Amino acid sequence: MAGLGPGSNLAMKVGLIVVLGGTALLLVLIWPIPWFDYNTQISLVQPQPVPFSHKHHVAGLGLDCRYCHTAVEVSASAGIPPIETCMTCHSQIWTNAEILSPIRKAYASGIPVHWRRVNTLPDYVYFNHSIHIAKGVGCTTCHGPVETMSLTWKGQSLFMSWCLDCHRNPGPKLRPVDKVFDPFWKRGPNTPPPDELVKVNHVVTTGLTDCSTCHR
Amino acid sequence: MSPEPKAPGADLAALRRRLAGTRGRVYWRSLEEVARSPSFLAWLEGEFPGLVGAIDPGLDRRRFLQVMAASFAFAGLAGCGPEPETRYLVPQVEAPEGIVPGVPRHFATATMLDGFAEGVIVKHVDGRPIKIEGNPQHPASLGATSPWGQASILGLYDPDRSQAVIRAGGSSTWERFSSLILERREQWQRDGGKGLRLLTGTMTSPSFAAQIAELRRRYPEARWHQWDAANRDAAQSGAMIAYGRPLDILLDLDKADVILAVESDMLSSAPGHLRYARHFAARRRAAEVGARMSRVYAIESAPTLAGSMADHHFLLRPEEIVMTLFAIAGALHALPDQGYGAAAPPWAAAVARDLQQHRGAALVHVGGDQPAIAHALAHLINDSLAAPGATLRHIDPVALEAGDQLGALTDLVSAMNAGAVDTLFILGANPVFTVPADLGFAEALKRVHISVHLGEYFDETAAACQWHVPETHEYEAWSDARAFDGTATILQPQVRATHSRRSVHEIMGLLLGQLSPDAYQIVRGYWQGEAEKPGEADFASFWTQSVRDGLVAGSSAKPVEATTLPDLGARLRPPLSARSQAPTILFRPDAAVWDGRFANNGWLQEMPRPHTTLTWDNAAIMSPATASRFGLADENVIELRDDQNTLHAPVLVLPGIAPDCVLLPFGEGRSKGGAVGVGVGFDAYLLRRSDGLRQRSGVSLRKIEGKWRLALRQHHQMMAGRPIVRTGDLDSFLRDAEFLHKEEAEERKRHGEVEASLYPRRAYDGNAWAMAISLDSCIGCGACVLACQAENNLAVVGKEEVLRGHEMHWLRVDRYYSGSPDDPETLFQPVPCMHCEDAPCEVVCPVQATVHDSDGLNLMVYNRCVGTRFCSNNCPYKVRRFNFFDFTAKDPRPRESWNPDVTVRARGVMEKCTYCIQRIREAKILADRENRPIREGEVKTACQQACPTEAIVFGDKNDEASAVSKRKASPLDYALLDGLNTRPRTTYAARLYNRNPELAEG
Repeated sequence: MAGLGPGSNLAMKVGLIVVLGGTALLLVLIWPIPWFDYNTQISLVQPQPVPFSHKHHVAGLGLDCRYCHTAVEVSASAGIPPIETCMTCHSQIWTNAEILSPIRKAYASGIPVHWRRVNTLPDYVYFNHSIHIAKGVGCTTCHGPVETMSLTWKGQSLFMSWCLDCHRNPGPKLRPVDKVFDPFWKRGPNTPPPDELVKVNHVVTTGLTDCSTCHR
Repeated sequence: MSPEPKAPGADLAALRRRLAGTRGRVYWRSLEEVARSPSFLAWLEGEFPGLVGAIDPGLDRRRFLQVMAASFAFAGLAGCGPEPETRYLVPQVEAPEGIVPGVPRHFATATMLDGFAEGVIVKHVDGRPIKIEGNPQHPASLGATSPWGQASILGLYDPDRSQAVIRAGGSSTWERFSSLILERREQWQRDGGKGLRLLTGTMTSPSFAAQIAELRRRYPEARWHQWDAANRDAAQSGAMIAYGRPLDILLDLDKADVILAVESDMLSSAPGHLRYARHFAARRRAAEVGARMSRVYAIESAPTLAGSMADHHFLLRPEEIVMTLFAIAGALHALPDQGYGAAAPPWAAAVARDLQQHRGAALVHVGGDQPAIAHALAHLINDSLAAPGATLRHIDPVALEAGDQLGALTDLVSAMNAGAVDTLFILGANPVFTVPADLGFAEALKRVHISVHLGEYFDETAAACQWHVPETHEYEAWSDARAFDGTATILQPQVRATHSRRSVHEIMGLLLGQLSPDAYQIVRGYWQGEAEKPGEADFASFWTQSVRDGLVAGSSAKPVEATTLPDLGARLRPPLSARSQAPTILFRPDAAVWDGRFANNGWLQEMPRPHTTLTWDNAAIMSPATASRFGLADENVIELRDDQNTLHAPVLVLPGIAPDCVLLPFGEGRSKGGAVGVGVGFDAYLLRRSDGLRQRSGVSLRKIEGKWRLALRQHHQMMAGRPIVRTGDLDSFLRDAEFLHKEEAEERKRHGEVEASLYPRRAYDGNAWAMAISLDSCIGCGACVLACQAENNLAVVGKEEVLRGHEMHWLRVDRYYSGSPDDPETLFQPVPCMHCEDAPCEVVCPVQATVHDSDGLNLMVYNRCVGTRFCSNNCPYKVRRFNFFDFTAKDPRPRESWNPDVTVRARGVMEKCTYCIQRIREAKILADRENRPIREGEVKTACQQACPTEAIVFGDKNDEASAVSKRKASPLDYALLDGLNTRPRTTYAARLYNRNPELAEG
């Protein structure tokens, strides 16, 4: 090692520390990126053909979730309302509003509006709305405070780890079955404790983390 | 490359030597296996045959690694950050009534084979039909389906189906076509329809019958002909000989103690075969529940499903079959015995005695491929066995004007040749392809002034006609049809017809002067006319009820009294036949594509044919002895020549074909009619003659140069040298029901196997899903294979990939032989995933992509799989399938036809049977929503639901009352490769043989 000179040992040490330390630092910096809202798209508002406000319709007018999402209790998918559901009211009120013109156009032409998806899952995930509703998982538990959303945004990351948090320990996320559609529900002093809710709502906890529960 | 196989003469000798050196009952899967031929051993050595050809030669290893490294790097980059693609939610504008998104709906209708209806229920998801199930209420289905029924849904979505009205090669319109016909009408009205001819397939439709009657009333000179290549003329001629009138026979196989099956199609394709198979199998399993097991004799020249179920199987040449029937009839004194017994094989007398002893509970069934005289003899024998009224019933023929299709066709062709046919409508048939070569249909067609073809495909006939009108699929139009017993079904469309497609009824309506004929009005109008007869006041409720149920209540035919003509016995004489040196050619419809109509159906093309396990081809099939006589081996090419035509065919050597017979399945070798079917196999119709529809001689056979590779599923997934299929005799079972378990225990002891495991035993307290498969019941029809394909989005891979062993069927039906290769017994064994409790595949997966769930199912997590294929290597049952290529992306099937509840697998992912996890989950969610356990029978796997014989039973083995628990409690229950301690959830019931002690071999 004659050619390297007397300081080579030190240079090697410093070099190693810089490389290893730099890598470690980089890893630490990169590590949380998946949880940034940039990646999860939580609170991200998508441009929509009509600036539909859940806040106005749910909190303001008091429409039940099921008025539009009719299939949520019986089907895997909650159902996106047909244009005629909008027109039940908007053929009477705000009939000339400019922002509703895509809706009227769709109704007249038969070509539906294309909403951008806010909540989406990969194709190999088979999520079922009806069973979550039946077991006391509230709409807002996964979809966020819908009653405050002037424009709809994504309430949760929908990561598999997020799914599993609840599937491993469902109790804390449950509410009484009759409160599922209540966007203002909060755990109160009279709310049964989580373990009791698991029992009362007949949540079968075995097999909740089986792969086949969601992947087939 | 594997060496050219030796001539099988040498192999056959080696094979006999090897078999002679074994003790007891030995099962073998193929001739090559047992003979240990060099080509076979070479095959076994190569783990992935043909892989060399699959890799792009321009891509060397170094370059490949460079490309892959770059791909991985970019894939890694793409992995960070949100999903780039925007997805849309597209609502409906107006919601159709009754459709809940994601919740399937079911509609009854029927699927048809040669005019006979099989009741089905079509499953719709979000308005799209995606799966066919049997209609449990329908007498011809009882909830089961045939392979054709399962595959019919793929036919509906076939992108190759014809889409436009075509005139002389150029496109035209329905309006132009209809105005031409309306013009012609004026002339027909003047001359009574002279020169107007119709040609259809076999018809049973009541509405069509009414339309034909109306047509004849208006144009009395018009003529209607029917032609199906696999028609049932012989059965009707047999009835004419025996009873003096055409008759259909309905079998009551549940009442039959002794059955003589004469190349019988009662389990495979005869009208009513699904029902027959159900009743037949129930009697084969009877011993397990303490009832009486039936005994089956089979005599045949070509293998049938019924023959493989027989307790005594006799291989005879066609003329020997007739002689044997004479001998049996003689022994039963059904006809004056003129020493027929002497000419017949010695066992015939014993069979006759057994039939005689079970008078009133015995029957003879003769398949549609047998000549009229065999049918007449069967009537005679059945009559003397007092079968009518006991084990079979007579009804008037269900098919319209059943009888002599060939005669009618010959009349038509001679009229065409004489220039007497002015306008010919060919409705839903393909005569240019299917008519016997000697009639020269295509030539005669040129002399017809106006020829019109209505068909689903632009096929051989469409190309030869001046007009072609696209026909609706059976799931696209209103129609009606009758089942084997006369029960009528009103067919309701499952989707709206597109592309100016028209149904037969609409063409008939046009002929009758309707300007815009509508099948709905025509069919409904007919039934309204029927219902308005006294007693049927409320037609609307009758219509709704009939359409919803998928059958018209009380429409089955009433049994008729029929007595054989008094002098019948004296009139019947054995035909004179001289055995020539040239081989006898046997023509039989292909087991998958039938007479060619399903040739463009990829599922059916890739379905391993029962017995041969051949896919994507037909072949000249002959026995080992015949092959060695002609110096032939598998995949040799032969030239078959008669005075008119020559054809080249590959040789397939198969045990169980009569000596000096060559079996040519017809239906393949299409030259037009869709990208899937064209160019597959060879056209056996070229040698078919009107005087030899099912068999003929006078064909010279010559070996020519070349090799024709056959995509057999036979060698794949070998399970050599172990007791895979277990059998026993009814007698030993009755003596000691536990005989099988004792055998097993002995084997374990001999091999020093102990039941021990390093893994802790896991308890499954909830549902423990399990399957039981009865070898006594499996007839090997293949309906389960196609049901699985339809339910689980299995890809079609094509001939080249099947040759490489890359087929994707999750469920395979293995074929085993026992006995002499000249006349072996055949067994079928369906093999899905065993769902081992201690699964060898799981422990070797580096990424935990295959794991157990809490119900004990062994499942694949596709999104975890990285494609190491370790699991498949470690699977002792070889039930795992790997996506070597992106098969699903290449599938031409439209996206909306896939099952939305099952992941479509991509390249590089392992897959296998899941016990239809999507069905289990659906039932579980439904039950859980109602806070109750899943009920017995609520989950049916696709294979179980399709199975006509209830051979496959699925359910919760923790529930002692469940059907699967009862099957597993049977002393005949055994597990495959038990010694490996995999604790499989799928188990089998051994097959029992009910041998005649008189015929028991030493």
